[in-house]
Parts: sequence; C-alpha cells; structure tokens
Amino acid sequence: MAQQPTNPAPARPKPPVPPEHMKEGAIAKLAGPALVQLLNDPTASEFQKAKACQRAGELGAVEAIPALARLLGDEKLGSYARYGLEPLFSPAVDETLRGALGKLKGNLLIGVIGSISKRRDALALAPLTKLMQDPNTGIAEAAVAAVGSIGSAESARLLQSALPKATGRMQMQLADAALVCAEQLLAAGKRDQALELYAFLSGPKIPRAARLGAMSAIVREETSTKRPRPAI
Amino acid sequence: MSTRRQVLKQSLAPMIVPSLVLGQRSGQTAPSDKVVMGGIGIGSRGAHDLSKILKFSDARFLAICDVRNERRETIKSTVDQAYGNRDCKMYSDQYELLARPDIDAVLIATGDRWHTPLSIIAAQHGKDVYCEKPCSMSIEESWALGRAFQRYNRLYQAGCQRRNGANFKLCRELLQSGALGTLTALYANVGPSVNWPPLPSRDWLEGQELPPAGVLDWDRWLGPAPWRPYHPTYVQGGWRNYYDFHGGGILEWGSHTVDLCHWAAGLDDTQPVEYEPVGGNTGPYSVECRYANGVRLVMRDNAWDGALDTGSCSFRIEGDKGWVETGDKTRIAASESIKPLLRPTEPAPVALENHMREFITCVRTRQTPSANAAAAANSHVTCHAAFIAFQRGKKLTWSVENREFTNDDIANRMRSRALREPWRI
Repeated sequence: MAQQPTNPAPARPKPPVPPEHMKEGAIAKLAGPALVQLLNDPTASEFQKAKACQRAGELGAVEAIPALARLLGDEKLGSYARYGLEPLFSPAVDETLRGALGKLKGNLLIGVIGSISKRRDALALAPLTKLMQDPNTGIAEAAVAAVGSIGSAESARLLQSALPKATGRMQMQLADAALVCAEQLLAAGKRDQALELYAFLSGPKIPRAARLGAMSAIVREETSTKRPRPAI
Repeated sequence: MSTRRQVLKQSLAPMIVPSLVLGQRSGQTAPSDKVVMGGIGIGSRGAHDLSKILKFSDARFLAICDVRNERRETIKSTVDQAYGNRDCKMYSDQYELLARPDIDAVLIATGDRWHTPLSIIAAQHGKDVYCEKPCSMSIEESWALGRAFQRYNRLYQAGCQRRNGANFKLCRELLQSGALGTLTALYANVGPSVNWPPLPSRDWLEGQELPPAGVLDWDRWLGPAPWRPYHPTYVQGGWRNYYDFHGGGILEWGSHTVDLCHWAAGLDDTQPVEYEPVGGNTGPYSVECRYANGVRLVMRDNAWDGALDTGSCSFRIEGDKGWVETGDKTRIAASESIKPLLRPTEPAPVALENHMREFITCVRTRQTPSANAAAAANSHVTCHAAFIAFQRGKKLTWSVENREFTNDDIANRMRSRALREPWRI
C-alpha cells in the first residue's frame, strides 16, 4: 500500500522585525557628550531617548545627569531616566532625585522614591518622612519602604513610632519596611539595634507575616554560630 | 450531678462524625489538610505545572489571576472541569488574590519580568511560592529574592524540576559518592543561539493599537519592565529575546542547567569568581567560568542535544576518575569506568511531578524545598554575571564576598535594572 502523504506542519509565522527607526544601532556606542545631545534633542524619538537613557546608565555618563533629570517627569520615559540615574556613582544623582520629590506626582513620584530607596540616600529621610503621610497610599507606602531601606537608627525610630497608629495595608507595609530596616542594621554591624527592632516586631499587634518573620530572625540570630559570645 | 467524665462523654458523643459524612472517603486528605493554591500568569508552561497540582489529593487550586481575559477563562475552565465544580475564582489584580487568607501558596508562571516582584509580594502576604524560571531579571533581583524569603520565613521552589529527575539525581550521586573522583569541571549546556542568542535585542517593535482593557491590561502586562508601545507579538510569547523582558539564551537556559551544576556539586551557596565569554552572538558560544576552588563551569551552546544524545537541558560532570552527562532524554552517557554503576531511571516527565510533589509536601511539613530561594539566587547570579560578561565582551572577575565585579565599573552598573513605577522589590 502506498504511503499516504502527510500534511506538512503549518509553517510558524516569522516573528515581526523591528523597524529601522526602532533599532538601537549606533546609540549603543555613543559616548557621554553625544548621549547628552540626543537626550536634549527635541526632535529625538521616545525610542532614541529610551535607549540613550539605558546607555547613559550603563556607561556611567555623569554628564547626562541634568538631561536624565528632565525626563523624570515623562510618563513613558520616567523609568528609563531612572534606569540611567540609579547606577551612576555620583552624589549629584541623589541631589537630583531628592529635588524631584517636590516636583513629581503619582506613579512618577513613586518611581523616584523607589530609586532613592535603592540608593539608600539617608539625606532623603526628612522629605520621605513627610511623604509617609501622603494621602496617595501608593506614595505613602513607597516612602515607608524607602525609609526602611535606608536602614538607619532614625529609620527604625520613625517606623516604630508610625506602626501603632497604622491599620490595614499601611500597617503591613510599615512592618515590612521595619524588617528590611532591621536587616540593614544587622548588615551594618548594629546587632543590638536590629534585635531590638525585631523584638518590637514580634509583638501581638504586628501583622502575622511580619511578626513570624521577626521571630524567625531572632531565632536565627540568637542561634547563629557567628553571634557575639561572652569570653569565658 | 454529672461527673466530669460523664460531661465529657456526653459532649464528645455528637462530635464524633464518620469521615464519610464529611465527604472524606477512606484514604483521602481532609479538606483542612489540603494546600490551597492560586496561580498568577498561567500560560502554556504554567498550565503544565497546574496539570500536576490538579493530580494531588492534598492540594486544591482555587484562584487564577491573569492580565489576559482569555487566559483567566481557560484556566478556570480547566480547573473547574478537573474538580467538577465552579469554585475557581478569577482575578486581574494580584493583590486581590493574595489577600485571600485561605490561599497557602501560589504558582507564578508569568513572563520573567514579573517573577521576582510577584514572588516577593506573595511572600509579604504570607504565601509560599512555586515560581517558574528564570526567576530574576538581574543580579540585584536575585539577591532580593533570596533575602525576602528568608525575611518572611516563607517557602520558595524555583521551577527547576530536574533537581527531582532520577537521571540527574543519579549523576549527582555518582559525584557525591566519590565515584567520579575529585570534581574538576561542570558543563551547563545552553540552547543554540539560533533560538535565543546570548545577546537579546534592545530594539522595539512598531506600536499597534491596544486591545480593549477588558481583553488585555497592557500596563499590568508590562509591569516592572520599562514602557514600550504595545505589539501583540510580545503578549503571545514573543517577549523572549527582547532585553527589557529577557536575559537571552544564557539566562534562559542557564537557569535550567547552571542550576543543575550548582545542585549536583554542592555549590548552591556560591558563584564563580571568573567569567570569560568565548564566541559571538550567532554561536557557537560559551562562557568559561571558574570557582574559587578552581573548579571550572562552562556554559556552552555546542552540546545541546548533541553527539551524546542526552537531550535538551543537559549537563555534564567531570571528575578526575570519570565523567557523566545527562539531559531530558534521561539517557546517561558516561566514561567506561562509570558505566557499570548506571541503572535505569524514570522517564523525564516524572521530574516535574516529583518537583511539584516536593513543593506541596514542603508546604505541609515546613521543610525547605530543594530549589529554594537561596539556591535560586546563587545560580541566577551566576547566569546574570555570565550574561553581563558576554555583553561586555571581556573576562570579568567577581568578588563573592562583596558581590561586585572587581575589574569593570560598567559591569557593576549592569547588576541592576530600574523597575517601572510603581513596582519595587
């Protein structure tokens, strides 16, 4: 019997190809001054500016900081601007981000608070403390997280004083931030402060997930072979 | 006056109810002992995971969250059909699903960009997590993942199911028993660059008209990834090979096979200290790595389902007394001295069921799963570091202690990616 011809599997459609004006191309090789020029060019497309932001961040183009700062308020490019700013080893970035706190609103402000949180800029504690009271819960929660991430003794005090008054999701965010703060204190060698904060977070009014986390951290720390021990 | 014993006898009598009355047949798990699960972003891979969950009598899948209406409906239909009811609830907002106190654990099988942020949010809500790989988008996210699951004391299982595959376990056993001698090299095979090259595209596709919000929430689909104009290709699985959504072939496949190497060699708590890229983006390519103890790790694309016929996602262990190599075909290739020690193993699909089984059991017993967050963090940091070395086109050296590259500032700036607002880790 002759073999029945088999139907060939339908060919998978070829994936679409990016158009020329949305190819990174030469932007990937631009140096700092050229990136600044592109970022400041009013005729440059969103795509070109997005790629220039990413390139600036990876290259470490500190000369692009003012140009990147101007994009922080752009709905589409704001996160690209932060992509450019976040990894730059320069205090000018922290000044820029702090300066943006008073100018931006909504999600763009939340994004900048997130970048401050990542860079752990202790000089931002004062404005962040105000933002912890913001009526926009997203902003308030982001500020709380940033205070925890900064992880100083002052952060711990702020979070501890805010927790008893908080309820619901804000209470959970405060407890989360306090756990992060305790981790930062531990990492900085401030073990006593960290354990004090963990003990506070083990209280009955703390949300369950954070309370269990704090208790577990106390057990971990107190049973660690690296814990400080009195000399015999 | 009744005695205490009489009171207890009277009060207990009506409380003893036959299990059959409660709908519990002999040998079945009581409803209160079941692990209640929800799922977030269940596409084709997630549906595969889900099919295993639906088999277990001690697990119950009750909720699906997806930004795509079609996927929500499909998963609900699958689950309801399996259980013979209409209990699976649908959500488009992950916070609503995670706020349910009855849900113990979640299956996360979104695109890579969501894996770490969602896993951390789930842990904050007290949930255990089974998450598909690659588990993170950057070195920074990998560390954040490990820290978060320790912080909240939650369980995490990366979808690295080969850790529960019998052929892979046998290779590990041969190393750990000393049969292979002293470990000299590990080979993590990665897919050929014709699929996903080591360097994903940083380009965009031309924007197209957005579908109605009820069909797709594009903003939430993008999530923490940077904004770009909508194109249906991304949503239909074509997001891979775009840098903003994907770590290229090295991360895609390394998250499978580097993970195996770390697990087999007992290196779950560390990373290599050197990364040297070899070859170009069109392949063949490799990244030659070295651990502080001198052991080599080679990620290479020229042995994927190659001459040894071991199948996809294969890895190789070399010791000074012998070598073994195995993959998804479950066949184990080995040096002559090792061949007498080989034994038949299970078919490959069993690994996924075993892996999900391990997770469910761990959720119930509170033991740590094999592909836990700390292990995932270390294997993913290794992959990201190799990916960065390939992008930089130069040999990079890495300080495990300081978690930084020691010879390249640009590489250090590439350790993290800014997340689109309002998302954070």
